[in-house]
Amino acid sequence: MKLSQEQWRMVLALLAVAMVSTALLALTQSLTKAPIAQAERQALMQALMQVLPKHANNPLEDTRNITLEDAKAPTVFYIARNRQHKIQAIAWETIAPDGYNGSIRILMSVRPDGHLHAVRITHHQETPGLGDGIMNLDWLASFKDKSLHNTRWAVKKDGGDFDQFTGATITPRAVVKAVKHGLNTFEQQRQLLLNDAAPSQHPEATHAQSF
Amino acid sequence: MHSHSESSSNTPNNGAIFADGFWHNNAIFAQLLGMCPLLGVTTSAENGFWMGAATLLSLLGSNLAVSLIRNHIPSEIRIPAYITIIAAFVSMIGMAMNAWMHEMYLILGLFIPLIVVNCAILGRAEAFASKNTPLHSLVDALAVGLGFTFALVLLGSVREILGQGSWFGWDVFGQDYPDVLMFILPPGAFIALGFILAGVNLTNQYLQRRKAQQQEQITATETPS
Repeated sequence: MKLSQEQWRMVLALLAVAMVSTALLALTQSLTKAPIAQAERQALMQALMQVLPKHANNPLEDTRNITLEDAKAPTVFYIARNRQHKIQAIAWETIAPDGYNGSIRILMSVRPDGHLHAVRITHHQETPGLGDGIMNLDWLASFKDKSLHNTRWAVKKDGGDFDQFTGATITPRAVVKAVKHGLNTFEQQRQLLLNDAAPSQHPEATHAQSF
Repeated sequence: MHSHSESSSNTPNNGAIFADGFWHNNAIFAQLLGMCPLLGVTTSAENGFWMGAATLLSLLGSNLAVSLIRNHIPSEIRIPAYITIIAAFVSMIGMAMNAWMHEMYLILGLFIPLIVVNCAILGRAEAFASKNTPLHSLVDALAVGLGFTFALVLLGSVREILGQGSWFGWDVFGQDYPDVLMFILPPGAFIALGFILAGVNLTNQYLQRRKAQQQEQITATETPS
């Protein structure tokens, strides 16, 4: 098939538009790549600061990647240490797949003895005014110091230790279940997570990033 | 619907283009285009503002580009060419927001890439920028974009004030205000929009009546007794 002059004009015009657009996109991408990575890092850092106790290292660089069963990608565990490089707490993100409206992402941190240090919700789409009670800091504080052994892991309606909210049981139920699952994960991976010497590289380097 | 200025053969002036894009042919109030971001992100005035700003920037870029190449694009392939241009600008704005307004980018989420299919933007490329000079196209984009932003901020304000008792995050009614949650939820968006559209129509009727009265007076004074 031979293209007429008219058709060639169309092909070339569309090609030119596509090429200029692609060039502009490539330029923008190269300009924003570093700032986007920086913004994501900062957001993660802010979230981690809320769940980790005082630490002397940089948890963003002190991590363990473990691929948990039935997971495709490895889970990143962030480790907080004191000046003696003793592990203070380990934080990671777990997902409650059974929220009222989609999955709920939860950042939790556990001390080496298996007790929870803090729990925060990083992403949810629950009903405002009902299910979003899980964002309430008082409710989240009820997880502090809980372990697999000292707590009945259910909402009060189901005979457990955690408050549900008026008109919303499904959401807190999903969060409680996911945090308990997270504690089980910790028990299973305990050896891998805790069994390590302090990072061997010069410890001073970890102070470089102050926060 | 109103369709003055843009199709008329004589060159439209910038004031007329602006009034048309911002009010008479407002994408939301008059044409009811772009309902998806309008209802989806306006849970607060701030969200509405930034959604509007992103749309305004996309419009400025696409209208200018389409106007610049309007004499070089064969009409058979103009729609794919416009879509490519719009998609490029929206993606660039999305990347910039992700880099420098990370939190707002996460809140607006999917609605940013969806600006590509906001028919108000393709509509301006096809109905205006493809037939007018770059300067007029920029004025048109500014007017339509500001009109769209105005509508989003208005609906976002109503929903935030009634739903959370605050405006742009500022406390309006004090701590004791019982939040009317319905206005944050989707039904509240439809109800609030209905009342806003009623208000806009009442305003337009009032303006028309006043104009008619003024003309009557003029004709009355001109007629000899």
